[in-house]
Amino acid sequence: MKAKRARASTRPPKRGKRAENKEKTKRAILHAALELFAQNGFYQTTTSAISRKAGIAEGTLFNYFETKEDLALYFFEQELAGIIEWYHGNRRVEAAPLPEKLFAIIHHLLERLGPYEDFIGAVYLRALRPTSKLSPLSLQAQEQNLRYLRFLRGLLDEAAADDEIPRLGDFGAYAFGLFQLAVITYWLQDRSADKEQTLALLDRCSKVAVAILKRGGWEW
Amino acid sequence: MVNKPSRAGALSRGFRLGKLGLTLTGSYLGYQAQNLLLGENEQRQHRFQQASSQRVRQELGSLKGAVMKLGQFLSLQTRILPEAAIRELAALQMQAPPMHPTLARARFKTSLGRLPEEVFRSFDEEPFAAASLGQVHHAVTRAGEKVAVKIQYPAMRQAIESDFQTLRTAGFAARLSGHLDESVIREVERGILEETDYAKEAANVEFFAKALAPLDFVRVPKVLREFSSDRVLTMSHVPGLRLQDFLETRPSQNLRDKLGERLTRLFFFQLFRVQALHADPHPGNYLLNDDGAIGLVDFGCVKHLKPEVVRCYAQFWSREWVHDPGLYAEIIRVIFGPKVSPAEPRARRCMNEIRRFYDEFHPLDKAPKPLDLADAKFMDGLARLAKVLVKNKFLSPEFVFLSRTESGMCNLLHILQARVATTQIARQWMPATR
Repeated sequence: MKAKRARASTRPPKRGKRAENKEKTKRAILHAALELFAQNGFYQTTTSAISRKAGIAEGTLFNYFETKEDLALYFFEQELAGIIEWYHGNRRVEAAPLPEKLFAIIHHLLERLGPYEDFIGAVYLRALRPTSKLSPLSLQAQEQNLRYLRFLRGLLDEAAADDEIPRLGDFGAYAFGLFQLAVITYWLQDRSADKEQTLALLDRCSKVAVAILKRGGWEW
Repeated sequence: MVNKPSRAGALSRGFRLGKLGLTLTGSYLGYQAQNLLLGENEQRQHRFQQASSQRVRQELGSLKGAVMKLGQFLSLQTRILPEAAIRELAALQMQAPPMHPTLARARFKTSLGRLPEEVFRSFDEEPFAAASLGQVHHAVTRAGEKVAVKIQYPAMRQAIESDFQTLRTAGFAARLSGHLDESVIREVERGILEETDYAKEAANVEFFAKALAPLDFVRVPKVLREFSSDRVLTMSHVPGLRLQDFLETRPSQNLRDKLGERLTRLFFFQLFRVQALHADPHPGNYLLNDDGAIGLVDFGCVKHLKPEVVRCYAQFWSREWVHDPGLYAEIIRVIFGPKVSPAEPRARRCMNEIRRFYDEFHPLDKAPKPLDLADAKFMDGLARLAKVLVKNKFLSPEFVFLSRTESGMCNLLHILQARVATTQIARQWMPATR
């Protein structure tokens, strides 16, 4: 899992050595933080513990992440970018019919998030505070989402070009984003073995959703 | 929160069941209860049922899960539903929610830790058969062995439990209870739930491989434990054709008789010697070969029988009870339970009907001539018997899977059009009376 995580990086735009080093440090900090979150929980983990674990001065940590929330934001940015990269490198999924494609994307996301379940649960609660940087109202969070939503929109546009579904515009991407959020929420509280209830829900919903879209479901 | 989506699922199923219930009370079971079991007005009813059973099938098809299994079950079972409905329901047998490759692979990976292509030399992403709880894929192991990999659809157990819950609240069970006791429905539920545990099935396969070894014509698959779990079951490939495909090769009467005889021996050997049954007798589970070998697959539904149940059943064949009140009383106790007195008219009616049926088709002569199972008279006789038994609420939970297997076997032999010396075979392994 760890090896996979290291591979799954964003495609950074070309930049200098300094920026590269900076990115490296950020990832090292995130890596250290995630380990501590898994061990002690999100709230119990202090920034000094994170900096110790990452082998940097606490002051340096603040140069990269002002708060633990910034760390969480960075985590999701990395994961969502990882999904996009995974998708474009995966012939099988790219060629699959839309219901399978949607299933595969969310399933892959859940697989990646698997090891960090407690942390994500904590972040979800945190995001409910309107003043939190993680809140859907925060511009920082919205900027991040935008990139992912564009990716989703591209995917639905492709399906529309292939006549799999009618053209949905931005609305389709938002709807899918919300659906993904709902599935993650369900997944967080799914106590069945291997979270198979989530798998069944995801399978049924992605089939039903595409079936509704095919019928031009938005009209009624 | 935990149950919200599944409750929503149960609700929507409940809604469908409501519709199904309307179909049933509005036209179907109610009508049937009054007239059908009495068997009048065949023609008119037939037209009526055809339309109605089509609706039932649509409803059941969209419900999947337990209701579908119950539907299948009834279709094979005691002919509680009329002929047209049975035909429609039989079409459901091999259907299950299909899984696309991504889901099937994900199931395999969560269950066994690695993807199929990392474990096998080759893995067919398209399933070659749908099992009622999942689907089956062809694969070849690294060692070059051809195998069948059965993968279960996620959360089947929960779906089945929730469906049975809905069945109860929707009052479907109550409507059925004119024919089936709650204890029978519970037994069906238990049997179906057991099918969701592939580890249990693996144990069943190994049990039967050993127990059936004396029958050299039977081929039972071998479980590959390293590629199996409670949700994935990998077994060696068993050669042979399913009944329908086999019949298309136009087998000779000789071959059909031979296979018929062997299927019958397989049934009685299990029943009287092993005292446990492969209790899912639908035709796809028997693989037939030109050389007379029979492959037996799908051990999800296995019933271990109590010795007294086996003894009672043997009595139907030997008919010693006719002259022995003690034996008669024991049969009534085992089948109807201790509350029913042997003197009760419905008990007497059932036993007389059983005797009439066996006297007609399995006479007590020293060497009765082979039974022609192609003869519609036999199937009609069986249906008539089932009607009387159902009407008198004869079916005890202990007999559910036994009678299901028996009627399924008769159905198989009927389609195969075999002539079989059933009585001689039954006598061969029949247990002692006491």
